[in-house]
Amino acid sequence: MITVKNLYKEFTDHDGKVNEVLSGINYEINKGEKIVIVGPSGSGKSTFLRCLNLLEVPTSGQIIFDGEDITAKGVDINKVRQRMGMVFQNFNLFNNLTVMQNITLAPVKLGIMTEEDARLKALELLRRVNLTDKANVYPASLSGGQKQRIAIVRSLCMNPEVMLFDEPTSALDPEMVGEVLDVMKQLADEGMTMVVVTHEMGFAKEVATKVLFVDEGKILEENTPKEFFENPQSKRLQDFLAKVL
Amino acid sequence: MTISERLEAAFITGDRWKLYLSGVGITLEIAVLAGILGIIIGTCLALMKLSRTGEGKPTILSYIATVYIDVIRGTPSVLQLLIMWFIIMASSSNGILVASLSFGLNSGAYVSEIVRGGILAVDKGQGEAGRSLGLSKAQTYRYIILPQAAKNVIPPLGNEFITLIKETAIVGYVSLSDLTRVANQVASRTYDAFMPLIGAAVIYFVIIKVLTILLGKFERRMRKSDNR
Repeated sequence: MITVKNLYKEFTDHDGKVNEVLSGINYEINKGEKIVIVGPSGSGKSTFLRCLNLLEVPTSGQIIFDGEDITAKGVDINKVRQRMGMVFQNFNLFNNLTVMQNITLAPVKLGIMTEEDARLKALELLRRVNLTDKANVYPASLSGGQKQRIAIVRSLCMNPEVMLFDEPTSALDPEMVGEVLDVMKQLADEGMTMVVVTHEMGFAKEVATKVLFVDEGKILEENTPKEFFENPQSKRLQDFLAKVL
Repeated sequence: MTISERLEAAFITGDRWKLYLSGVGITLEIAVLAGILGIIIGTCLALMKLSRTGEGKPTILSYIATVYIDVIRGTPSVLQLLIMWFIIMASSSNGILVASLSFGLNSGAYVSEIVRGGILAVDKGQGEAGRSLGLSKAQTYRYIILPQAAKNVIPPLGNEFITLIKETAIVGYVSLSDLTRVANQVASRTYDAFMPLIGAAVIYFVIIKVLTILLGKFERRMRKSDNR
């Protein structure tokens, strides 16, 4: 479904110093897979995820989504992004809009659904995450866990083919992590293709079809969750797991 | 002369209060026209200045905006008014129009920096979330970033408008009879500067006080989405 070929990403700071964050990533994500990406901070895992929908433009390399190279010139990236949902660490609900408007804005303005259809779909999705009563409030009045569940709903309302999660629970108070992970697990059970950057090793063990260890801009190790956690091959992954588990 | 005689000479004799009234009218007319023009020009300049090419470099529009802002901020507004009146629009006899244009072009440069600051103050994640859903850059600006920026810019924009009202006092240079000039004329007619000048000052103060109260109300209404 998504094939990543030779992905490089460099950032240039104000002094012109070049910092290579991704150093040649190759990977293939198949339909229905749940890929969980772990790694130390600054390893490039979030950048990798953000390259998948071109929120970061790769320095070189290709990302092929459904047979189409989306890094090629002339690709309508907005059309591609309509099929890829993304959930952010800081929720990024639109502060100037109510929950309902947050969810229906994109499908309605992009002409995918009528206002009425979008509303009905939003209500149905809100029911699934038990937040129907919050439809008409502004994000400022919600807890972190509620915000993130609504951010997930906002993405789902576009009927995406794949969902990207960028550390979705890292900004949450501990007691709210569970409610967000539950929604993600439910989504996984329904067969959604998911790519998740997280520090929740429990989630990785339980839900992932593959776990990737990213460090210094490369995929150092890739395995089934069982093998990944019980039988880490590289010294770096062993050290990392020793620290986080 | 008693105080009441002086007051009478400054405001009543020969229906002079009508002069002040028409002076206030001219002051407000110029300020409002210039304010509207300034917001339009300022928003355009801010968007121009923030525009980037695909590679993230400033566009030619961005440089044009920077030069415009530098030139306007680098020269006195009295001089800009005189240049507009005696050179650029010398053929026009509509003083209010010329003055409004001059102040509007001037204010636009300051407003553009206010608007730019307001846009930059919106969390980057808001725009990213919009783009990640497939909304275009223009849609993201229109529905998400600009409404939030608008809320950020109301206090400094109100400040700019208050400055503008007072700055119109220089239109006497191009012989428009605004409030300040009227007061000055009455002072020279009655040989008593105190009453007309203090009177004009009180009128400016009241106008701006009322405006401040209205702006405060408007700001609170705009902040309703922040309420918990």
